[in-house]
Amino acid sequence: MAIMMPASDQAVLARRSEIVAALRAIVPGEGVIDTPAEMRAYESDGLTAYRQPPMVVVLPDTTEQVSLILKYCAAHGIKVVPRGSGTSLSGGALPLEDGVLLGLGKFKRIREIDFDNRVVVTEPGVTNLAISQAVAHAGFYYAPDPSSQIACSIGGNVAENSGGVHCLKYGMTTNNVLGCEIVLMSGEILRIGGKGCENSGYDLMGVITGSEGLLGVITEITVRILQKPETARALMVGFAEVEAAGECVARIIGAGIIPGGMEMMDKPAIHAAEAFVRAGYPLDVEALLIIELDGPKIEVDELITRVETIARGCGSVTLQISSSEAERNLFWAGRKAAFPAVGRISPDYLCMDGTIPRGALPKALARIRELGEKYQLGCANVFHAGDGNLHPLILYDANKPGEIERAEAFGADILRACVEFGGVLTGEHGVGIEKRDLMGDMFTEIDLNQQQRLKCAFDAQGLLNPGKVFPTLHRCAELGRMHVHAGKLAFPDIPRF
Amino acid sequence: MDTLKVRDAKDVEEVVRAAIANEQPLEIVGHGGKRSIGHAMATNAVLDVSALNAVTSYEPNELIVTLQAGAPLADVLSLIDAKNQQFAFEPVNTAPLLGTPVSGTIGGMIAAGLAGPRRIKAGGARDHLLGAHAVSGFGDSFKTGGRVVKNVTGYDLCKLLAGSWGTLSVMTEVTLKVMPKPEAERTLLLRGLDDAAANKAMTVALGSPYDVSGAAHLPKSALRTRTDELGDIAGQGEAVTALRLEGITASATHRAGSLRELLAPFGAATLIEDAASSVLWAAIRDVLPFAASGALGAWPVWRIVCPPASGALLGTQLARETGGDVIYDWGGGLIWAALPPKADAHAPSVRQRVDAVGGHATLIRAVEDVRRSVDVFHPQAPGVAALSERVRASFDPKSILNRGRLRRATA
Repeated sequence: MAIMMPASDQAVLARRSEIVAALRAIVPGEGVIDTPAEMRAYESDGLTAYRQPPMVVVLPDTTEQVSLILKYCAAHGIKVVPRGSGTSLSGGALPLEDGVLLGLGKFKRIREIDFDNRVVVTEPGVTNLAISQAVAHAGFYYAPDPSSQIACSIGGNVAENSGGVHCLKYGMTTNNVLGCEIVLMSGEILRIGGKGCENSGYDLMGVITGSEGLLGVITEITVRILQKPETARALMVGFAEVEAAGECVARIIGAGIIPGGMEMMDKPAIHAAEAFVRAGYPLDVEALLIIELDGPKIEVDELITRVETIARGCGSVTLQISSSEAERNLFWAGRKAAFPAVGRISPDYLCMDGTIPRGALPKALARIRELGEKYQLGCANVFHAGDGNLHPLILYDANKPGEIERAEAFGADILRACVEFGGVLTGEHGVGIEKRDLMGDMFTEIDLNQQQRLKCAFDAQGLLNPGKVFPTLHRCAELGRMHVHAGKLAFPDIPRF
Repeated sequence: MDTLKVRDAKDVEEVVRAAIANEQPLEIVGHGGKRSIGHAMATNAVLDVSALNAVTSYEPNELIVTLQAGAPLADVLSLIDAKNQQFAFEPVNTAPLLGTPVSGTIGGMIAAGLAGPRRIKAGGARDHLLGAHAVSGFGDSFKTGGRVVKNVTGYDLCKLLAGSWGTLSVMTEVTLKVMPKPEAERTLLLRGLDDAAANKAMTVALGSPYDVSGAAHLPKSALRTRTDELGDIAGQGEAVTALRLEGITASATHRAGSLRELLAPFGAATLIEDAASSVLWAAIRDVLPFAASGALGAWPVWRIVCPPASGALLGTQLARETGGDVIYDWGGGLIWAALPPKADAHAPSVRQRVDAVGGHATLIRAVEDVRRSVDVFHPQAPGVAALSERVRASFDPKSILNRGRLRRATA
């Protein structure tokens, strides 16, 4: 394992059986799992290159149990790793050898559907898709749609601030959650926000969203739901040059059109997807755009025409417009299957997740090509082109000595390039352990210290999901220290009135 | 009292560091237009950021603009308007409501986080702040977020800065998302509905697939103080319920037609378009019926956020109990209440009613005497209040920045 996790606390490990017994007293029956065979299912999340069995797994089914577990762990200095469905692609739910793995899988009840206020109040273990399904009969849905939506939990979505294909138009998780019930590491249960548009006071919901399980354990969430668009149609447009595809994306946005989704694939990704699903993708183009417009039929028809004109003006070499749902779904089939399709052409792959300003797309692709030559590894690229979110898939073979290390170095260089081009390390997968050690490439120590001070406000002992997000852990007392100059200071030489 | 007019982020660091060393809390101001919101501060020097007023960069194709915090909001709005773009959350211009001459700075817009009618569709200031550079109460410049929309790298401290009323950090530069202005705007007007029926009509409209981007109700009594800006709409002497549809022309027109049919049980809706519609929504956004220059200019004004479907019940109770006036935005989820002058601004009834439906109330306009005896910001549950205080201290342990603004000093 290339990533160093915090040293295990031997004193905690020595008390394992006592800890298991204490957890059983809180969560009776099958809610505590402590045999190596049964714990294997929890030893990694979607970032399968990293595995670590936890000390013990506990699966509470009430908020009170969560509170008692955390209170017990806080009192005894035991680390806790929260987990939803375990689909994180950044290792956010990777267990610790000396940590309790707290699974929220039993929290799978939708508590309230309130159509008048257009919200759903749900437990965190409910899957993203299940929320949309529960309100579909009234024409509503929950907008953020990460590609793992059939499996990923809404609690995990809040922890990671998940995105998806449609977040260009409808926003990420943070733009679609209104409130939560959260249990702090101390065991304290708090309610933040509610069914109104805004919280009172500081926007705690805003900072809890995307905090990667480091601030608290969420036991209930209020999400906003929207009416489904009346219709959706897609264009599939091929370009002989990546630059032309990038220009097309810029001109669509520049024309004031915000498509429901706008995806790009490069040639290796197109070939892999076509071989897998036979969607009819053109094989001789360098870049393929799938652009979906949604809304009332009259609007979609008009925008399709406008986008078609823009695409032709950018020199498209192939252009198809869906005329039925079946055809629209076929356009998407290859894109949606891109990851497994790449899995078929390479024994292993690493999925990266940087964001760049849209305008830097051609530059970034050129850099990825150069890096591929340097590291002697292939790379297939799929992007959420509308918001500059790149998913380069680095191809490698774990059985060949040195390849995984080369692949990881290649990935790190891609993310550094994203920062260099004015972007960020992660657009939607989270930092977790995967990008933790790159945080210093984007943030200064002062920036990171401020973030860690916030962590201290929620979890002063640093027991909740340690080892994730931050490359260096500091004690809260050290972070809170003020460096005050001795004696009185005059205000500096600044204009005064 | 000293006013220190900083020239750059370095100046801000130096002033804050000196303030820490001298234990001399600072009031942070841009144009100072919102100084009357919140409690009187225990500060004895003013840090004035209005000279940090540059546009760092504007990239219309990337849909972002990066600005120094002291940039005047009015200038920035003209700048992006020239490229047919806007801040989709419709920042409230508090000048008419508070009776101040200026519409304020970008920093003030973010620190107050007051969003207009499109909040229900496009989100608030917090949803459009992509990144910030700021100086904390440690006297250190830090950055958070970035210059791209899709970003989950580290904690999203931007969310905390938006709506923090200058109590966490002094923002020096911010990156905001801009959005294309809609091609067309259509507003359906229903007349003569009581609050409950209007709330139902707005709920039906917002639950429809017609993508409503504004849903407001102006009861008859709130319109008795005719404001010129409302023109004909106020002149007819009846309550007005307004529903806005925006987008490409064909679509906005089509949806207005469909929505009119859907709302037929509430009466026959009339239609206003483009410029006439914009004037109405600007008046709602800026709460012009309760403008400081109008007949209710001396009345305290509450800003109440609640579950939208509970709006009418809450608003009618408050109006009846106090003899005040209310207007509704956000489909009932935002209530502006102007209540007759009273030493406590009717705080006990307001807070009790608001708590009963699960919302919060801010006393946005009141004379200083009233603000001395009433909590301006809604009291929080003890656990949330304690966490919020720890969060505040994680940015500013010595409470150097806008000390006392959010919490009333208790004798």
